[in-house]
Amino acid sequence: MSADPVHSNPKSSNPINRRPYVQPQPSNWWLKNRAYRFYMLREATSVPIFAYALVLIWGLFRLSQGQAAFTDWLALMASPVMMLLHLLVVAAALLHAYTWFDLTPKILVLRFGDFRVPDLWVKLAHYGGFVLTSGALICLAYVFLPGV
Amino acid sequence: MTHSSKSRTTYPRSHEPIAWSLFGAGGMVVAFVIPALALITGLLMPSWPAEILYLNLLGLLQSWVGKLALLTVISLTLYHTAHRIYHGLHDLHVEGPAVGMLLLFYGGATLLSALCAGVLLAI
Repeated sequence: MSADPVHSNPKSSNPINRRPYVQPQPSNWWLKNRAYRFYMLREATSVPIFAYALVLIWGLFRLSQGQAAFTDWLALMASPVMMLLHLLVVAAALLHAYTWFDLTPKILVLRFGDFRVPDLWVKLAHYGGFVLTSGALICLAYVFLPGV
Repeated sequence: MTHSSKSRTTYPRSHEPIAWSLFGAGGMVVAFVIPALALITGLLMPSWPAEILYLNLLGLLQSWVGKLALLTVISLTLYHTAHRIYHGLHDLHVEGPAVGMLLLFYGGATLLSALCAGVLLAI
């Protein structure tokens, strides 16, 4: 265990290696309180979104095979399972966005001289960007994809 | 005086800065793009005429702008979710060999991104 960085300090000249007591953590620790459960829910949003990325890659692959293959993929998207996945993905991505925009003011600290842009402004700018981007994407899809 | 060489082996270079940059960029993409994109592919596209939709998507994805946009969105989403699942499994005490887990998640995201790039180039 001499390479264990937690229990031995290689820079220390003390010949005695401390072995402090590490309290064992049960694997269901996150069920114990509300904040931990919400943290786990936030992390779990990544699972349906990962599945969605695979669905998109599959769709691109089917599109590359020609019109019949793409139509098959489109029919698959209309199936109840895929409808449910999409609903789950929208809900997960919205929860992710909500928590992400809570975090950004803590990471994105803007200073102009002595003035620090307030957290609320940074957050609101992100919500504004979210509304604009989502609106633009849906409008562009509506205008350019189903038309001639 | 062997301390400096010893500490180099004790503290290897972390993968975190690169992994976190990709995770952060992916977090932005998932927040800004995925809700609308999932509404488009799940709710709107199945109700549109398949033939015209196919031709319009083909036109979009035969352009470099379209290819690059889709690759950016998909690969950053993959890195973001792989990072969260990797750390989430650690939180749930699902342990594996350290290098193996890194290869599985970040390597997997890289491999799937490369696959996506290959498919996009074939369109």
